Amino acid sequence: MTEDVTGEGRYAASGADVPSSVSGTEPGASPGSGSRADPGSGSRRGPGTRFQGPRVRVERCVSRGLGKVTGYALGPYQTAIVRIGFGAAWLFFLLREWPHRHELYGPDGPWSFGLGKQLIDSNHAFTVLMWASSGSWFELVYLVAMAAAAAMLLGWHTRAATVLFMVGVLSLQNRSVFMGDGGDNVIHLMSLYLILTRCSQVWSLDARRAHRSRSRAETRTEAARTDASAGAHGRGGNAPPHAGGNSAPPHAGGNSAPASAGRSTASGVGDPVAGTGGVVLWAVLGAILVGGTIAGAMTTGWTLFFWALWVANAAWWCVNKAVAVRGGSGLRELRTVCDILANLAHNGVLLIIMVEVCLIYSTAGWYKIQGSRWQDGTAVYYPMNLDYFTPWPELSHLLAGNGLMVFLVTYGTVITQVAFPFTLFNRRVKNVLLAMMIMEHVGIAVLLGLPFFSMAMIAADAVFLPTVFLVWLGRRVTVLRTRVRGRLPGGDVRRQPVAPPSPRTAGSEDPAVPASAPVGWPGDRTG
Amino acid sequence: MEPAAHQVPGADSAGETGDAGERGGMRGIAALSLPARIFVSIAVAVVTVGVAFHVAMVFLQTAPDNTVSKRHAEVVDSYVYPEFERNWKLFAPNPLQQNVAVHARARIAAPGGSTKTTGWVDLSAMDGAAINGNPAPSHTQQNELRRAWEFYADNHDEKGKSYGLRGRLSEQYIKRIVMLRFGTELNGGSVERIQVRAVVTPVAPPEWGDEKTDSKTEYSVQPWWQVTSADLPGGAK
Repeated sequence: MTEDVTGEGRYAASGADVPSSVSGTEPGASPGSGSRADPGSGSRRGPGTRFQGPRVRVERCVSRGLGKVTGYALGPYQTAIVRIGFGAAWLFFLLREWPHRHELYGPDGPWSFGLGKQLIDSNHAFTVLMWASSGSWFELVYLVAMAAAAAMLLGWHTRAATVLFMVGVLSLQNRSVFMGDGGDNVIHLMSLYLILTRCSQVWSLDARRAHRSRSRAETRTEAARTDASAGAHGRGGNAPPHAGGNSAPPHAGGNSAPASAGRSTASGVGDPVAGTGGVVLWAVLGAILVGGTIAGAMTTGWTLFFWALWVANAAWWCVNKAVAVRGGSGLRELRTVCDILANLAHNGVLLIIMVEVCLIYSTAGWYKIQGSRWQDGTAVYYPMNLDYFTPWPELSHLLAGNGLMVFLVTYGTVITQVAFPFTLFNRRVKNVLLAMMIMEHVGIAVLLGLPFFSMAMIAADAVFLPTVFLVWLGRRVTVLRTRVRGRLPGGDVRRQPVAPPSPRTAGSEDPAVPASAPVGWPGDRTG
Repeated sequence: MEPAAHQVPGADSAGETGDAGERGGMRGIAALSLPARIFVSIAVAVVTVGVAFHVAMVFLQTAPDNTVSKRHAEVVDSYVYPEFERNWKLFAPNPLQQNVAVHARARIAAPGGSTKTTGWVDLSAMDGAAINGNPAPSHTQQNELRRAWEFYADNHDEKGKSYGLRGRLSEQYIKRIVMLRFGTELNGGSVERIQVRAVVTPVAPPEWGDEKTDSKTEYSVQPWWQVTSADLPGGAK
């Protein structure tokens, strides 16, 4: 299958570099589309393929699916945009509520510490704010929640950041559950899910760090090329030399999937500075966990959950370290197995996220069909006349005053929501509906005064955005940033080649790309 | 045209060769030793069952009450609550069609020893004023009083009698919100008791429709409550 190899490699490069060349085909448009047979592979198959029985085809299909869910963390751009979206929504919310934080979640707010304690004793929700009633503990938790949201947004030690993000979200929301609305609810759910995804493969500081340490290792490898036996160690002996990237920094939480699992050419560990930072971070978290466990601060379930996360990350770090230092086929296999487990968890949770978004819309649609106001086409009129949801009364009344408009929006909403899950089987229709839903949420943000709810919903919708669009979007952002940086007086031109993972460089985060790196790199230099 | 083109292979064999398609992952698994393959198979099974179970639970919680969800209500509830709950339905089955305003008044002990009663203060109107023209209203303006009253109304009967723990909690919550907004001193005297009422005004039917509904405002007046130190900001740790 050497032809496959080159074909994939070339495609991967051109896809990363010139996504417009594949527009319309939308590779991985929705992560769920992964199992779809692609036209390209059909043409590559031998003529005998046509005569294969259904059983063979099913087997092929299953093995291909299995290969994908174990070998890849699917939807890297989609999970990245979801991570960024929810990080931003929660961070902006916490910033906006900074002046009101005591009233919302503080020990002396109207929903006092005592009231919160009585309710939580009865429903056993998780919140670290119940560990102490002091004001300084509250301030600390609020600050850590903001820092975690920022770290997750940027993809800085993402594995740890997602855990802290969840702790922050659950702690604040569960502390004062009657302060929240639908937006808080969806952030709550996603904060739980994001923990188990490899959501920093692109557009993250982790990816940039992995990318940098990989290029550094490549330089080293080039220098050590005299050690030819190491280079020839690659499978089939045809592995390109630059594929000999070193092991990714393990604390990147496995988010940067290793390009080559600990080949001896790597001759060392990942970025030593980043390695230290990660170790310190996880050591601190471990110490807090030990303290929390001894103090009996959490329920058994939560204690086990946090320990499982901590041990899994520690094991991943140890395995990577061992592979880098000692190598050996047994260790490398262990690492591959760990990697497969992480991919499985990622893909399983990604599926759950997609199902959850579908459920949000479809159940909303099904319930609406039963509502008399949605049937008679006046439903949208009513929220436009609620005092709590009309920050711009004139605008709301303008819309509410037009019966035809209200009817169209009312019916359009129901149709879109009921239909959405089924349109996933057709990319074009799915994308149209997705655009409509995002537009509707933008409208809700302004008209009903619910910007954070809308941000959260759009972030959730984003899991269904097509890859081509996301790559294009990322490239626009990079161009914009470069332009802004160029205009700034202190704009450092030399920094551009190592700019944070842009869509152009993002392709290079893809270990599939090293096989064709010469094609993928120019984007990095210009980008 | 593989969707995998933009995706990151974890299995090293796939990464090195760029064989990112149908064979890459399989080779990754096929290259493993037997124990490793068995382990991965078990992991695949566990994840599959786990995802199916989670999706089923979440679905049963959000779907209308049905044969299955009623039969397994206990399992569903114990799994979904408190962290996987979904508590809003995006204006379904019908959007709210009435404005619920919370009013409060106080009985004041004046310095001379006399008591007097203040007029009704529309606390919701104060929220409304804060929301008006505000692109990002705070939860303290948009949710605090509105949801506190929902919580209270859900846990009290028509006559203001509370149901259990949540009823008591909601009552004190309302008192604390009112006292936060009134302060302990009002109209030159100290607040001794407070009273709350909900004013429910149906949204008038659209002018362009032919519907005629009764837009009569309804008042639900609650009993007078003694203010204690636990109802003041800073009290009741």
